Amino acid sequence: MVSIKLRNVTKRFGRVVAVDKISLDILDSEFFALLGPSGSGKSTILYLIAGIYKPTSGRIYFDQQDITDLPPKERNIGLVFQNWALYPHMKVYDNIAFPLRLKRLSEDNIYRKVVEVAKMLRINHLLDRYPWQLSGGQQQRVAIARALVKEPLVLLLDEPLSNLDALLRVSVRTELKRLQKSLGITTVYVTHDQAEALAMADRIAVINEGRVLQVGSPEEVYGKPSCRFVGGFLGNPPMNFIEASIERGREGVYLVINMDKVSVPKQYTNILSKLEIDRVVIGFRPEDIVIEKQCSPRDFCLHGEVYAVEPLGREYIVTIAIGEHMVKALTPRGQVFNVGEKVCVCPYSEKTILFDTKTEKSLEQLLVEKHGL
Amino acid sequence: MSLKDVEVRGRKIEAVLLLAIILASTPLIIGFSLLTLSSFSKHMVTNFDPNSFKFTLINWVRFLEGRMAITGGVRISVINIILNTLIVALGVAFVTTLIGTLAGYAISRMNFRYRKQLLLLLLLLHAFPGSVLIVGVYLIYIVTMPSNPEFIRYYSLFYVVIARAALEVPMAIWLMKGFFDLVPWEIEWAAIVDGASRIKVWWKVMLPLVKPGIAAIMLFGFLAGWQDLIYVRTFLQERTLATFIEANLEAEYSHMPLLAAVATFYLLPTIVFFVTSQKLLLKVTLAGVKR
Repeated sequence: MVSIKLRNVTKRFGRVVAVDKISLDILDSEFFALLGPSGSGKSTILYLIAGIYKPTSGRIYFDQQDITDLPPKERNIGLVFQNWALYPHMKVYDNIAFPLRLKRLSEDNIYRKVVEVAKMLRINHLLDRYPWQLSGGQQQRVAIARALVKEPLVLLLDEPLSNLDALLRVSVRTELKRLQKSLGITTVYVTHDQAEALAMADRIAVINEGRVLQVGSPEEVYGKPSCRFVGGFLGNPPMNFIEASIERGREGVYLVINMDKVSVPKQYTNILSKLEIDRVVIGFRPEDIVIEKQCSPRDFCLHGEVYAVEPLGREYIVTIAIGEHMVKALTPRGQVFNVGEKVCVCPYSEKTILFDTKTEKSLEQLLVEKHGL
Repeated sequence: MSLKDVEVRGRKIEAVLLLAIILASTPLIIGFSLLTLSSFSKHMVTNFDPNSFKFTLINWVRFLEGRMAITGGVRISVINIILNTLIVALGVAFVTTLIGTLAGYAISRMNFRYRKQLLLLLLLLHAFPGSVLIVGVYLIYIVTMPSNPEFIRYYSLFYVVIARAALEVPMAIWLMKGFFDLVPWEIEWAAIVDGASRIKVWWKVMLPLVKPGIAAIMLFGFLAGWQDLIYVRTFLQERTLATFIEANLEAEYSHMPLLAAVATFYLLPTIVFFVTSQKLLLKVTLAGVKR
């Protein structure tokens, strides 16, 4: 297996810049997810790695080898498409055998390999059928089998689960993750579903408007988003954002939100002193909130009013209006709230992230960029 | 009014439509029936007069024996004429299909300069009837004609196939482009990643998926060659069924029921093809492809 390196890769379609100077390092045997909304350029990156698109500028490497100018068939990759792109006029066996036949392997050899990979994906009883006779999940296995039968160095998956129904998606997710680990094949996985990326990937690159916003483990991108977009894109419901102004008093630095005045979370006091900004966006996740009936003035708490309550079975989503901002909180079943009730929202201050209002970057990120740390 | 599915038309509308279709096709059906009846009769069947029909097979026997004149012993090789017609028809079908599928694929799937202009030019070419172009086509024929008279016979056959096919090609390319456009890009990409060259993608993946389109242009090509009169008459030294009938219509002593037999035979492929390939022509599905 190989590692994949992208260096300053740009792809333009006419005047549209689909991918803008991206550099990525995908490690050997890693399950790497490209996560972003539709139109963010994540699929374009995948097709650049596959060789279906040629970069306008920049280089792509497999290990040390520069493959930028190699055609797709010389890159030894397996590619699975969102619509699976099975050949409709061929039976499952011939679909899987197609890449081997093009390599002019002997029919005995082809038979052995097809059956082997079909057994691995548990589709060996379907070899005699046509794609349209299969269910979505089965078609998807066939597509994966066709990609794997070549024994590729890299497996590229373009939203392979998005055409499956919700229940099937969760079970295929688990299987795909196991398969990748047991084969140890370097895998790049494109998805717009943050839950999929978090559940499956070793590392995630969050992409928006053709740029990489953050690369990191699921815990990192979820817990320490480097900008407002990443925080808002991951998690369901997404991170809450509230604008606040900074008040530098004699006793310390405070955040002012509407009528509330709270002290800056400890991890930010040092950072804030090095940055000259007077407005921030406070970000906190719905599960990192405690809702109190009464506000204690010293805590990191904000006054609000219950706007809506949505029971989800295991927990409740409580929407609270704080001034003009809506905040969603996940609360355990025991707590009961009524619409219109005055409550107090207390985010865990140690899990709260502060973002710069102008650049929308987290203050940590801003500091790193400013001082080149 | 009771509630019904959206796709179900009302009974009344259905009846009206059916009546309109029957009315529209009546003249054709009557004409063809009279022609067929006449070919089995001693005299032409006209004016819906049942007394004019006297059953006989003599017209068909004479036609197949090649004895076109009632009195004289002149024999014509009908087999040769049918063979010529088939060569022209199949030739036009083959050339049209080959160029149509290749060019249609290229225009649908490849990016090259002047692609749009080429498409418009093809449309323009299709707008010209063959008779308008015939002077130019004849000029090229004269210029390219081999000097050895022995070859001219073969060359004229070759030339008429190419020239007639050229008239069908623009439409064929447009039609095939439409069919290729329907195949999702991902299928082509998958084949390329699997290691196929563009020409292999075309042959092994794309062509099987546009079979209905291929059937359609093949059929149109065949019928164009089979039916053509003006190009065959201008260029071909041999006779085809079309020129044969035409020549005999003009003759002073022609036995009409005999010509009716030839004409019935001449119309057969058109009818047979349209009846048998109806389903294929209507089937524009890509089974198993999610879009």
